Amino acid sequence: MLVEGEMESAQTAREQAPIRIGIDIGGTFTDFLLVDSLTGQTTIGKTLTTPDDPARAVRTGLEQLLRAAERQPSEVGQIVHGTTLVTNALIERKGAKTALLTTRGFRDAVEIGREHRYDLYDLFLELPKPLVPRYLRFELNERILADGSVLTPLDADEVAALARRLVDDGIEAVAVCLLHSYQNPEHERQVGAILEEVAPSLVVSLSSDVVPEIREYERASTTIANVYVRPIVARYLDRVITGLSDLGVPGTLFIMLSSGGLCTTDTATRYPIRLVESGPAAGALAAAHFGRLTGRSSLLSFDMGGTTAKCCLIDKGQPSISAEFEVSRVYRFKKGSGLPVRVPTIELIEIGAGGGSIARVDALGLLKVGPDSAGADPGPACYGRGGTEPTVTDADLLLGYLDPEFFLGGQLRLDVEAARAAIARLGERLGMDEIATAWGIHHVVNEQMASAARIHAIEQGKDPRAYSVFAFGGAGPVHAFRVAEILRSPEVIVPLGAGVASTAGFLVAPLAFDFVRTYVGRLDELDWDQAAARFAEMEAEGQSILGEAGVPADAVRIQRTAELRYVGQGHQVTVPVPDTLEKSSAARELTERFEAEYRRLYGRIAPGNPVEAVSWRVVTSAPAPQLRFTIGAAPAVAATVADARKGERPIYLPERNGFETVPVYDRYALAPGMSFSGPAVVEERESTVIVGPGATVEIDSLLNLIIRFQR
Amino acid sequence: MTAETQTRLDPVRLEVMWNRLISVVNEQATALMRTSFTSIVREAGDLSAGVFDAQGNMIAQAVTGTPGHINSMATCIHHFLAVYPPEELRPGDVLITNDPQKTSGHLHDFTVITPVFRGDTLVGYFGNTCHVLDIGGIGLSTDARSVYEEGLYIPITKLYDRGEPNRELLKILAANVRAPEPVLGDIHAQAAGNDVGAARLLEFMTEFGLETLDDLSAEIIGRSERAMRAAIAALPDGVYENEVYSDGYEEPIRLHVTLTKRDDELHVDWAGSSPESKRGINVVLNYTHAYTTYALKCALAPEVPNNEGSFRPVTVTAPPRSILNALPPAPVSARHIIGHFLPGAIFGALAKVIPDRVMAEGAANIWNLQFTGYDKSDRPFTYVWFSCGGTGARPTKDGLHATAFPSGIAGVPAEVIEQLSPVVVHAREIRADSGGPGRFRGGCGQTLKLAVRTRRPFTFSALFDRLHHPAAGYAGGGQGAAAEITLSTGERIERKGARELPPDTVITLHLPGGGGFYDPLTRDPALVLEDVRNGIVSVERARDSYGVILTADGLAVDEAATRAERAARAERAATPA
Repeated sequence: MLVEGEMESAQTAREQAPIRIGIDIGGTFTDFLLVDSLTGQTTIGKTLTTPDDPARAVRTGLEQLLRAAERQPSEVGQIVHGTTLVTNALIERKGAKTALLTTRGFRDAVEIGREHRYDLYDLFLELPKPLVPRYLRFELNERILADGSVLTPLDADEVAALARRLVDDGIEAVAVCLLHSYQNPEHERQVGAILEEVAPSLVVSLSSDVVPEIREYERASTTIANVYVRPIVARYLDRVITGLSDLGVPGTLFIMLSSGGLCTTDTATRYPIRLVESGPAAGALAAAHFGRLTGRSSLLSFDMGGTTAKCCLIDKGQPSISAEFEVSRVYRFKKGSGLPVRVPTIELIEIGAGGGSIARVDALGLLKVGPDSAGADPGPACYGRGGTEPTVTDADLLLGYLDPEFFLGGQLRLDVEAARAAIARLGERLGMDEIATAWGIHHVVNEQMASAARIHAIEQGKDPRAYSVFAFGGAGPVHAFRVAEILRSPEVIVPLGAGVASTAGFLVAPLAFDFVRTYVGRLDELDWDQAAARFAEMEAEGQSILGEAGVPADAVRIQRTAELRYVGQGHQVTVPVPDTLEKSSAARELTERFEAEYRRLYGRIAPGNPVEAVSWRVVTSAPAPQLRFTIGAAPAVAATVADARKGERPIYLPERNGFETVPVYDRYALAPGMSFSGPAVVEERESTVIVGPGATVEIDSLLNLIIRFQR
Repeated sequence: MTAETQTRLDPVRLEVMWNRLISVVNEQATALMRTSFTSIVREAGDLSAGVFDAQGNMIAQAVTGTPGHINSMATCIHHFLAVYPPEELRPGDVLITNDPQKTSGHLHDFTVITPVFRGDTLVGYFGNTCHVLDIGGIGLSTDARSVYEEGLYIPITKLYDRGEPNRELLKILAANVRAPEPVLGDIHAQAAGNDVGAARLLEFMTEFGLETLDDLSAEIIGRSERAMRAAIAALPDGVYENEVYSDGYEEPIRLHVTLTKRDDELHVDWAGSSPESKRGINVVLNYTHAYTTYALKCALAPEVPNNEGSFRPVTVTAPPRSILNALPPAPVSARHIIGHFLPGAIFGALAKVIPDRVMAEGAANIWNLQFTGYDKSDRPFTYVWFSCGGTGARPTKDGLHATAFPSGIAGVPAEVIEQLSPVVVHAREIRADSGGPGRFRGGCGQTLKLAVRTRRPFTFSALFDRLHHPAAGYAGGGQGAAAEITLSTGERIERKGARELPPDTVITLHLPGGGGFYDPLTRDPALVLEDVRNGIVSVERARDSYGVILTADGLAVDEAATRAERAARAERAATPA
């Protein structure tokens, strides 16, 4: 528990219930972070996830947490929750029995997909199976054309008869996706009304409601995924709410969205697909938050755990948002092998590289690492649980980067000899000794992560060299220095409590909601009243949802953007739209903004080519909470850097072509203002920071380590 | 190789540098796709991008694109260097051509090559090939009688000379194509993509202290070549033949392949194939080579990186003036129709030795569907997209419905088609009973019902095949359904090419299915039941082809009746007629 920090904008209401709690349900552990918004005091909690009923772990964990913090349930003002429930239900295909209603002739849009193989050379590849089998996909006699006009009216009797049949067949959930409903949702709304009347027990999602965007495959896929998980999410949230009230927690429960915003449980129940990446989003938000506190607005968030590493670019203090995500992939790290869902998602790249990633020699005699992972069981060879394959953690141990006696604060003793044997076997096949092999593993995995981060930056038109690396996750601080070196980043920032930092993201997110409408047209021919009407509609919706959550109307922030492109192109560029659109100047102004952004991304424009709008977006948000806190135990702050030194040990340094004995610092003894030079090791319970030569380390006022390269 | 380079390129350093090089070409391809004006390039991924060493050997290619472009780009660069020898190239030079013979086989593809200089030393090249929207002439069609009718031909020439654009060339280009802005826009995007690659390559060389790419290239190509040779060596020595047929234009086209495998080399000869066609379905040798090496890599060594080294152990020949080695002035525009049949022909030959590693015949060529005319406001329009039939079954898995193979392209959503053109897609559905029966079923084709909102007659131009030559199954698997095209006027379309149709015609296209693998009587009855429930296989087909009898409600397999039916069939098969 620690002190540093203050609440910048205290509200009277909060004084009664100052506690905010973040809860992250992961595959193995459910993590908790409690912050007192008045004092900045924090408490960490951890309990095993209960997959049969995840709400149980939430409840027992909360009880333990409040006890540990010596606080009363009545003091809890707000709980923010993220969950992998949606992702898991999609991977395990454990959602509701779902049917699809679609336009005559289009029930196979979700199976035909893009007609594309995501791997050019694999004759044995598999495509992801649709969530709804063909025999539960039904066609309706109706048709709307691209301009929104009706070619064939809807047959209400047909829909009613079908609705009765669906109930008889035991269907629980129905996705409705009719052609061109992004342009004219009337038929879908009629279908929704009929279902409501004839078969009120069915849970229904309309595509024009979930994701009113062009492209029937992606829209249907998203709508199906949404309704498929709705019953599970509804049941789950209900149990969590009941659990909270049983505990006597009066506070509001908010749910983390993939986009990094928060929503009410009501919204989460209607659009659960928007929660799909809520856990990873929190990590990126945490990075953005700590970045803001340290005065840095551009960061590369680098979160490396046991099986994966995640990277996310943060600009102007905000992570970038992507409009599409894939779920239920055939191959976890193979782009294109999953079902597309169009939901605003924090744009992060996930790489099959973590502490448990296995190293091997490929057919060409090269050293490859991952994406296969030894996981937690048997785990790396050095865990001594029967693992024999060499992993990244084994290499890190052999290189001296990890202390076998102080892994997880000494909870798990690492077996150096087992690691050495596993790596030596691999080395024999490469003709390299065990240390060269261990360094090879460490280096190759760093290169992979740096490559992925670089391409990720470039796809967004950004230069990765301009970004400080913000490292967290169990393995992040061990690898961050070398990854940053490869990327030529100026510095690495490691927060206190790096191993559990991502839960902080839950507590710093603003209440926010995203909307999108498709309205296609050339800017010089567009009906600006239509565009304005769409914005007004989206903004009203956002105001109303935020109003229900208790946000005063004048505090709501509205961001409008348009997705524009040159006529004939396929990729859109997102451009901010001014608050007021003057008909006379709107086209010119948006064209100018588009061309400026296009030039930034691609270095040139195509003057004279007409520009068209594809979709219009609005984000409505409440102000972000202004919290200052650091995670972790109160440091036994040392008087001088020398006192913070808890020992020394040899670590491998490629610059020296061998081992060098370097100081080991106790993370908890380092105080603000202290500084030292690399090479060095800094240890805390959940992670170890490795600093190479040619860098200085400084502890800032929030106890972050700031590692600067001296180039 | 010196001892020094041996140590400098240990398996770790090589892995790191190779990985870096691949990220450089991916960056090049990303820049190109995002700035392209042609929906075929970005939606369908019809492009390729790669990096070459100073000798013109392809070292790495982007993880995108389609084999006809990638592999022909690898060979085309030597033609460029024959015209502009390296010693004559200067910084700022950019080369271009759409020569079908020397690149990817038709005038619609532009290849742009940019030499990369480190100081004054030429260290390598970036290249890419892209399909442009239009190249004048008769358009993308089978109908031309010579390459001269197919559009503008740009021989290997300079697009930029020491940084100065070749304005005369651009003027001529702009004057000869129907859509000058996007075509010139794409060509500039091609040059810009190479520039992105070049800048990153130079940074990479500086970081790793490389003066040249020679050692790295030798190592990458050498290792790839050895891996490819090892994969070939694992096949028994021998001569393996196969013959397949395409509908052709006026008469069926025979494709005869002879694979001669000895030690660690393979020679592929297409002698015995049909002579050149009078119409634009001819294939140049470069394109024949591309799809031949692609098929071999898929079957023998999918894990080996695709570069100069993986091509070296394979030689490809076809008799001059045959359909697979067409020479000027033979028309070549729709060369992919025949080109896409080549992997199937090769797999059929390999099925005799490695049936467990090939795919049965599939729909083969992608279908180009082009509509031209006037919309209801009398504005002219032209729109083209690709659609795909089913792939062949695999020895362990069913085929894929409506999925491109061997092409690497993707389809276009109906809503996008309708947004960009007056075409109305009335149906796009999986075509029942079109997948060839087998223990593993062939992928089904699709059925498209198309109309145009217009008051005037419109032109429909389609490139298709397998109306008369369905995809064969392997190892006892049945053939996929043949294609069929019918019109609401009652006519059937039999011949490729353009035709004018009355305004309210509805065109129904039944795309072909893939062949099955192994005897359908050995298919798990539960899988047959699932296919029937899903309407992919009819009750009749379940009985007739699979010997599976369902219960009266169609919800379960009648186990006893199925056993009896299958036993009776096995007995009949064993008794000579």
